[in-house]
Amino acid sequence: MKVALAQFSPHLGVIGKNPEIHFQTIVRARRDKARLVVFPELSLSGYTLMDLVPEAALDPARDPALKKLAAASRAIDIALGFVEEGGRGLFYNSAAYLSAGRIIHIHRKALLPTGGMFEEGKFFAPGKSFRTFASLFGKTGLMVCRDFLNSGSSYALFSGGADVIIVISAAPGRGFAEGAAFASSRMWELMAEAVSFFSTAFVVYCNRVGFEDGKAFAGGSFIFGPSGSRLVKAREMEEELVLADLRLEDIRAVRKNRTFLRENRPEVVLRSLKGIIDAPED
Amino acid sequence: MPLKINPSFVEKVLCAFIREELHKFSFRRGILGLSGGLDSSVCAALAARALGGKNVVGMIMPYKETFGRDVKDARALARKLGIRTCVVDISPMVDAYFTRYPTTNRVRTGNKMARERMSILYDQSVEEKALILGTSNKTELLIGYGTIHGDMACAINPMGDLYKTQVRALGRHLRLPASILRKLPTAGLWTGQTDEGEIGLSYSELDAILYELVDERRSAREVIGLGFKKKAVEKVEALIVNSEFKRKMPPIAKISARTVGHDFLYSYDRNR
Repeated sequence: MKVALAQFSPHLGVIGKNPEIHFQTIVRARRDKARLVVFPELSLSGYTLMDLVPEAALDPARDPALKKLAAASRAIDIALGFVEEGGRGLFYNSAAYLSAGRIIHIHRKALLPTGGMFEEGKFFAPGKSFRTFASLFGKTGLMVCRDFLNSGSSYALFSGGADVIIVISAAPGRGFAEGAAFASSRMWELMAEAVSFFSTAFVVYCNRVGFEDGKAFAGGSFIFGPSGSRLVKAREMEEELVLADLRLEDIRAVRKNRTFLRENRPEVVLRSLKGIIDAPED
Repeated sequence: MPLKINPSFVEKVLCAFIREELHKFSFRRGILGLSGGLDSSVCAALAARALGGKNVVGMIMPYKETFGRDVKDARALARKLGIRTCVVDISPMVDAYFTRYPTTNRVRTGNKMARERMSILYDQSVEEKALILGTSNKTELLIGYGTIHGDMACAINPMGDLYKTQVRALGRHLRLPASILRKLPTAGLWTGQTDEGEIGLSYSELDAILYELVDERRSAREVIGLGFKKKAVEKVEALIVNSEFKRKMPPIAKISARTVGHDFLYSYDRNR
């Protein structure tokens, strides 16, 4: 089943151009026979929102643009990013999965980078869980950018039986590397290689491009297969719609030999974590 | 080699930055001061590649005949890049002021010249419907080797995250003329001035120390422990600390609940 990664540069703020770009991309992805099109983090609003967060927030139950996108998901599944109006003055950096005419899952970014160049904790409330849900691709999990750089989040989705882990991202490039890429691009692939290999699941990563306030979002979106090998890689720093065929039967084939999921004992991990969480300050 | 760059990748990033940033604000043209030195030459070459030569204006703004060689180099580069130039002699304006308020203080005259150029650049940017491209590099920004509201003033700065030695590598990659690549860096504040002479360190030494202090976030003591001279490290650290004001907007006294510069938080690229 074909998946399209829509590596593009969203406009920043509340100007209504982004939904149109989504619709145009959906048309292209459908033409390419994709069954799912994945957009980057905060694809409907742009990333560096800061005090614009409340104005950019969309209520998933009511927002007209999300309703139109949900309608478009009758023909193709869609994963996208938006500011979620959580009510009670809480706003989330969320990923939504749209299928068969409705939003079937929302993941609220749980790990909000706040330090150095990142300030998400100042503007967003954190999500509380990583859960899998059923999609065309089997058990599916969503993450938003920094969520993925923590082994615990991947472990939660792995334990939830994830066949496909979808990561939407707005990762700025940083650091010098030998090749024609930022040093930070390696970090994402390093994690994806490990997670896909040890979770025996597909890892679908869509990053954005373009600049906001001098930060260059690095692109370089990719998909890894359940054996830990890379299926496709988009260019760095350039808009692109890339496609890859996900052969879901590979999951079963790989798990015959690599029995990580069968051996997994989340109750042991949970017990260990409980001990850590309940411990007094050290 | 921590300061080593992949110059074609850096070129790609910086050209995309110049192009996108201008287009977001509906500008097609960039304007910059061309001194005939390395930094402004690299910036002009990047801008020409990003926007097309005809969309770049190089302002050549000499004071008297002091830097005739530089004017020649700047003109030759502009021809090579296919960018337009405009020469404005700043001597009448600068001399008019110092005839009235004479001084022998070279910092005052140097700063005045830098700000005169800034003033002309901003004026011409309106006429040209162009955004001003800054040419300050990371070395200068970190040690405060620039005139606030003078050569540091700009709309966007493509080069501010490249150390001088990296700018030089980029200049080689962009095939700048040898006369520019070999030239001793100077702020051009007075005849015979060189940056390295004035700072008291070579750029390769300075950049190596800055890299350890800033990028690696090592303490001065740790950097000295790596084998750098104590005096040099302490001097560089003091330069960084004492020039913080040049890298910040001025502090605004907070009185109300929501204040510009404190908690009125929007992106530069808001709604673009």
